[in-house]
Amino acid sequence: MSPRFCSIVRSGLSRETPVKHSNHGIAFFERITRVLNHVLVCIAGCFLGAMVLLTCANIFFRLPWTIGMPISGAFELMGYFGAVAMAFSLAFTQTRKGHIAVDILVLGFSRRPRQILNSINDVLCMVFFGAVSWQITRYGITLLDTGEVTETLGIIYYPFTFCVALGCAAIALVFLTDLLRSLFSKEDDK
Amino acid sequence: MNLTLVGIAGIVILLLVLFFLGMPVGFAMGIVGFCGFWYVRSFKAAVTMAGTDIWTTFSSYGLTVVPLFILLGYIAFNSGIAERLYDAAYKWFGHFRGGLAIATIGADELFAAICGSNTATAATMGAVALPEMKRYHYDTKLSSGTVVTGGTLGTIMPPSVVLIIIGLQTEQSIVKLFLGGILPAILLGALFIVTIFVLCRLDPQLGPAGPKTSFGEKLRSLTGVIEAISIFLLVIGGLYTGLFTPTEAGAVGVFVTLLVTVLARRLTWKGVVSSVSDALKISCMVFFLVTGAIIFGRFLAVTRIPFMVADFAASLEISRYVILTFVLIIYLIGGCFMDSLGFLVLTVPIFFPLGIALGFDPLWYSILLTMVTTLGAITPPVGVNIYVVKALAPDIEIGTIFKSVSFFLLASIVCIAVLILFPQIVLFVPGMVH
Repeated sequence: MSPRFCSIVRSGLSRETPVKHSNHGIAFFERITRVLNHVLVCIAGCFLGAMVLLTCANIFFRLPWTIGMPISGAFELMGYFGAVAMAFSLAFTQTRKGHIAVDILVLGFSRRPRQILNSINDVLCMVFFGAVSWQITRYGITLLDTGEVTETLGIIYYPFTFCVALGCAAIALVFLTDLLRSLFSKEDDK
Repeated sequence: MNLTLVGIAGIVILLLVLFFLGMPVGFAMGIVGFCGFWYVRSFKAAVTMAGTDIWTTFSSYGLTVVPLFILLGYIAFNSGIAERLYDAAYKWFGHFRGGLAIATIGADELFAAICGSNTATAATMGAVALPEMKRYHYDTKLSSGTVVTGGTLGTIMPPSVVLIIIGLQTEQSIVKLFLGGILPAILLGALFIVTIFVLCRLDPQLGPAGPKTSFGEKLRSLTGVIEAISIFLLVIGGLYTGLFTPTEAGAVGVFVTLLVTVLARRLTWKGVVSSVSDALKISCMVFFLVTGAIIFGRFLAVTRIPFMVADFAASLEISRYVILTFVLIIYLIGGCFMDSLGFLVLTVPIFFPLGIALGFDPLWYSILLTMVTTLGAITPPVGVNIYVVKALAPDIEIGTIFKSVSFFLLASIVCIAVLILFPQIVLFVPGMVH
């Protein structure tokens, strides 16, 4: 695979590049967000790998010439693994501008109105994901208090709900960082 | 305020948020649906609904098929399978006039059979085919147009991410949708080849004939095709025979492709990491699109807009095919301004019940909508495949690429018309599954 090929593949994706800020507070905030997203996406990758292995093992073990029985609870574990993999990729995807948007009109605006619109965008998304994260955390606490378990395996599943809540909180943090960057960065930082 | 008016206001606000704030489509649907539900019911009901929907969608077993098929596509993408497919197609068709362009469509068709994304198909085949066509003095009008439009086969030929999402959204069998996409994808590829043939007959300078290859070389090149065909047969054959569920088919496809490409040393650790990270990013985008559409759909359901639209259309004293043409035109225009998947996810809650109310077969209707919306990837102003090709070949003018696409656009429209006239092309293969 040539380096040119790889660069072409990635050409449509704007990479998050560290920006040197004169405002140390924002730079510190950005570093925390970046490290958190990196850790979360590594865990997400592990869960995606686990989904592949679990499903293949399930197929293998149910073949008549092996033990002839599927892995108990594979169905419900797949759902929870998928939830963690996707929730932990939410913030990473946002930092890579991976969530599709219709920006043909916005790109036509001059810098100042675009900055205002982006800030409104950041605030709306931050509040939405913050509220959702709070709600899912509350749901997780209810599951923890009632000791609810899964149907087949009979294991607790509130940790998975907390993972989804954490994923939503992480993307809210990305929007907060973007908002702070556009509000407090100096002209030459942008 | 009347609930219908609230629903219409919600749709207008959604469009304003989408176009003027540039907010990601999934988030916009989620936020507008959330606010609408808040207005109609209460904040507590809205936040509970949004939280529950996000948790249940993210932890749904049905959606786990998405990251697995996307990962399969990216592994194929990073492992050089496309180069060998193109090489084989080139050995068989390269010596004809326009043969390299025909080879590109042939390789697109085979690559699409293991990769479910039109962008990935266009990027992969473009990186392989564009330099070759340039070397043999193909006109950029033909070469760029072939790569841009050939990529659309990735959306229709199974496994297709778009078909998976439609299946989940409309509660249809993903297996049947996959099988329904096979013949239309072959027909579309054949029409693209006819287009290339006609263009090269009219203007031989567009695609001069390449060097001839011996029969032995042709036969040897087929070894490069075996791998892709085997993966396709394993995945689709497993689904067809009922050996696997769609999720299992995706996982087996990933496992086998990974095993083969790593053992053959065609995929490095860096390639694996890149495939996983890209698959996570695209899957996450798809997951939130679906979640946003579900939240927005709940708001619309409260306002009863989809049912009113369906009832209104069903009561009209005009042919249902006139309404279908209207719907297809809306999808064609919508696809020009929005990503095809985003537009489909956004509009399916409104237009799918309409199609059912008009008495159309849901499978056939879904394939038609997919085909029409996919054209958005090759039409201005946001035709994503066009920008992929522009990134691959910066020396080709964007205007030239747009012009080149127009020839193939005609082939796509003919294909859609044929599918409307002969629905059996879509329904024949799924009809064989019991």
